[in-house]
Amino acid sequence: MPARELVLETHDLGYAYRPDRYAIRHLSVGLYRGEVLGLLGRNGAGKTTTVRLLTTLLPPSEGGATVLGHDLRSGGRALRARLGVVLQSESLDFVSVERNLTLYAFLWGVPSEVAKSRAEEMLELFELGPARKRRPWALSGGERRRFQVARELMHDMEILFLDEPTVGLDAIARRRILRYLKDRARAGLSIVFTTHILHEADLLCDRIAVLHLGRAIALDTAEGLKAKYGGAREVLVVFAGPLPAPVRAELVGELVARGASILTPEEDGEAAAARIAFRSVDAESLLPWLSQWAHARHLDVDRMSVEAASLESAFLGMIGEADTAGGDGGGPVGRSAEPLPPVPGGRVP
Amino acid sequence: MKLPPVLRLVVRNFASNLDPLTVVIRFGQPAVTIIVLGTMFSTIISSSVTGGSSYAAFLVPGMVAFQMITGGVVSGNLFWLDRRWSMVEQVFSGPFLRSEYLGGLVLTSLLFSLVGVGIMMVVGLPFTGLPALTPVGAAMVLLTVALGSVFFAGLLIAIGTRLRSANAYFSIQSFLQLFVIFLSTVYYPVTSKTPKVLALVFYANPLTYAANSIRDAFGGTLGAADLQGLGILALLALAAFTAAAVAFRSMDLGPIQ
Repeated sequence: MPARELVLETHDLGYAYRPDRYAIRHLSVGLYRGEVLGLLGRNGAGKTTTVRLLTTLLPPSEGGATVLGHDLRSGGRALRARLGVVLQSESLDFVSVERNLTLYAFLWGVPSEVAKSRAEEMLELFELGPARKRRPWALSGGERRRFQVARELMHDMEILFLDEPTVGLDAIARRRILRYLKDRARAGLSIVFTTHILHEADLLCDRIAVLHLGRAIALDTAEGLKAKYGGAREVLVVFAGPLPAPVRAELVGELVARGASILTPEEDGEAAAARIAFRSVDAESLLPWLSQWAHARHLDVDRMSVEAASLESAFLGMIGEADTAGGDGGGPVGRSAEPLPPVPGGRVP
Repeated sequence: MKLPPVLRLVVRNFASNLDPLTVVIRFGQPAVTIIVLGTMFSTIISSSVTGGSSYAAFLVPGMVAFQMITGGVVSGNLFWLDRRWSMVEQVFSGPFLRSEYLGGLVLTSLLFSLVGVGIMMVVGLPFTGLPALTPVGAAMVLLTVALGSVFFAGLLIAIGTRLRSANAYFSIQSFLQLFVIFLSTVYYPVTSKTPKVLALVFYANPLTYAANSIRDAFGGTLGAADLQGLGILALLALAAFTAAAVAFRSMDLGPIQ
């Protein structure tokens, strides 16, 4: 299998909007061809600054990056010609939606015949056909956002930066766009995608970088992040019959000793006596132990279920952990701050 | 065939932001001024004040000179709207250099001004007859308007890079337009009766040099003073363009209101 091609790599990239006041610092991430990299973080975490840095709209204050073989500082036009950018702020020209698309393609030097057919494709794909003759500012918020994405896809590119492209979109439109982006990524387009909607990052992104207070605090697949930072999950065990009180007390004691917190009331009727629910950060590793424990006591287990780890709980776990570990060293955005210690997954392998 | 980036930006400037109503008003206003104001005041203002010609014929070269403001304002406004609607940032994220974007604006301004010159001359024909324009005179008219439009475009763009409010920009732009037009020789000449302070202000105004030079070119009486005026205009244009270019380099691209 051929080695994956790294199309973007940053090394300790940072941007200070004033001397010693950093919006992003020590960013070291990579992006492979055909990969979708998500940037997650709270408001002001540095996602938009990262996008603006990587698209040459802002000059790096420190560190560096190589994008499509170009040095970020000197790549200029040759580099930008291979990028696509949907910025967070809406932009438009004072012509119809359809003309906006073809005019933007013209700006990028797309031949007019190609532009026309691509405009039709985008109008169809982004469900903007009925609005083609309307001016963009007369569109609804969701339509305007779809228009922004559609317009950027009018030209060819190798890396597409999408800064919160799905804000204001309904679930159907969002899914449609995500599916399209996933297809484009499979065809070789690399995508950097920022969002606050964790579920869509989970659906779309191959890897996710979590930014917090201007630092990358984690970089991994969604599954990896959930496994590492998902935190306590709820486990429900249902036995074939009610547990005798001493047996139940023994089980509770064992679970508590293993760090679980019990959720089931002590005694609440026969059905409740057959169930036990608890939360544990090691939910999955407790399951084999539980099976053995029940087997040793000749107890039949009807059902065991573990709550699926969510990216949201992982995200909250990561932010909480970073806040606790970082203290002043992490420093809120805009404060002078020393680097945090290296974070697992924070560097491209 | 792919056009050079500057020309693509110029085409986009014309296609995107210049709706027909704007164009009609921009060219229509000075044309109507020639017809209405020229006709009305020709009966009031003596030809001795206007150098022997009717007031309408006096006004025509003034309105030709006025086109440099029209072009400058068009570019200044285009730039402001691009900033307001985040198109500056979007364009800069594409395969364009800041200098090309600035060049595109200035070229748009030039083209707009020169089209305006043609329209004003045609509208003014019934009042001026065929102007006694020599090839040098014609070149003088075009160069004067071109330099003037670069000056006003550069000035408004430089101002536009520093402001973050539409109200502030348009207030300054309106004030500047009014001030520059009425304190120049576009509408009336500087005569011996003009208060000295006001005359000084008139001669500090680039539009005065432009209007005087164009008037001389129309009358076939170009002289050293006109060349001097052209030189001043060239210096001012260079200064304004430099100011815009410097301001562009450090411009904040973030969203504005």
